[in-house]
Amino acid sequence: MTSAFGAALEALDRSANSPKEFCRPFVDLFPVTGASVSTIGSLLGSETLSASDGVAARLDELQFDLGEGPCWDAVRSGRPVLEPDFTARSSARWPALSAAMRDAQLRSIFAFPLAVGPLRIGAVDLYSVERVALDQAQAKQADTMADVVGRHVLRQALNAVGRDYDYRGNAYSRRIVHQATGMVLAQLDLSPDDARLVIQGHAFATSRSMMEVAQDIIEGRLSFSSEDDGIEASG
Amino acid sequence: MSEIITKEARLLQTFASLADTLVDGYDVVDLLQLLVDTCQELLDTTAAAILLSDGNGELDVVASTSEASRLVELIQLSAEAGPCVQSYRTGEVVSVPDIAQTPEEWSRFRESALELGFASVHAVPMRLRDNTIGTLNLLREQLGDLDEQDRIAARAFADVATIGILHERSLRETALLAEQLQGALTSRIVIEQAKGVVAYTNGVTIEEAFDLIRGYARSHQLGISQVAARLVDRTLRFDG
Repeated sequence: MTSAFGAALEALDRSANSPKEFCRPFVDLFPVTGASVSTIGSLLGSETLSASDGVAARLDELQFDLGEGPCWDAVRSGRPVLEPDFTARSSARWPALSAAMRDAQLRSIFAFPLAVGPLRIGAVDLYSVERVALDQAQAKQADTMADVVGRHVLRQALNAVGRDYDYRGNAYSRRIVHQATGMVLAQLDLSPDDARLVIQGHAFATSRSMMEVAQDIIEGRLSFSSEDDGIEASG
Repeated sequence: MSEIITKEARLLQTFASLADTLVDGYDVVDLLQLLVDTCQELLDTTAAAILLSDGNGELDVVASTSEASRLVELIQLSAEAGPCVQSYRTGEVVSVPDIAQTPEEWSRFRESALELGFASVHAVPMRLRDNTIGTLNLLREQLGDLDEQDRIAARAFADVATIGILHERSLRETALLAEQLQGALTSRIVIEQAKGVVAYTNGVTIEEAFDLIRGYARSHQLGISQVAARLVDRTLRFDG
């Protein structure tokens, strides 16, 4: 890949182990002033991992504190939130944030969810002091880049919590996990690696072992879908 | 990065094709030959050989990356007094990072190895519980220990060889192929994943999924591992 987008994806993969670098390819590729990458919500907590400048970092903190804003909406909906002209019409949606944004003279804001399958773990925020719009292709690219970041962030977080969630187990339980990986990759149309990451992440989120989660998947008590909240438990 | 992935993918492929070998009823020497060739191809090793105990405590080369008599001879020397027999007797891995530094009682092995240009050797016992049946030997032109990944892979190959051999022996006695298969290979990752895929897409149990995969492989004259890989990468679907 030699396109700017390809280069951005490669840059993200290169910085897989240095989260501070995650925002840079977004700022390089899109016509925005700054960017931030943060985890949000119960799975990994709320924390800014990467911010291109102080404004981007403050924008994240503000949203954490207020509990509202595009990054929360992106995480909740699992979809991009595009607001090219913040000052014009966003007061009702995010009343507290809107006031702060106006004070800071920010004009456009865009948020893309960090998600791995049904696991929503955070968001990428892009902001601009000038009014800018992202066209459909740009929004799709940013969304794809956010997916890449999401996988890196989740993988890192799971590595950090230790080997319980990087399951090796015995031969029998490994098979179960592999089989469950197959079911999840078919349910969500993911690669085997990502499907395994979903099982790991779900195990972490529910404080259970991968083996237990895998068994629930195989026996149909737990299934994933890309719709809505994406996790269905039954039985 | 891509080099590592390729290597891992190829290791997986090998394990999957070994699984295939075991499914179809197999020639144990073919299996062992595939193993040593794979060691040479994918691990950081110059030559590889597998020796088996003949039942009287003598070790014989059954597969090696070269049939050149000098290599076979060298391995055989190692089996008389060298890392190979030590690994067999102790049931432990014997890693020799510098052949030149080996003890006097291994002198015949040492001289022959140095003469052929080998600098280090890694011997892995082929062991099932307390029963050692042979060794896998990796000879290298470089000094030093094998890196950890290769050591793990070598260990896995030795285990597969062990399982393959024990199967063949017990198959002659019992012919219970289907049951024997269950414990045969611990590394059939892709096949296990494919079972999960088919279980979900076709609404069948994991066991039924395996039968479907195997049935498809047979009726299309494909390897079961090949079918599994295509199911996992979604280029093949059973659900239409």
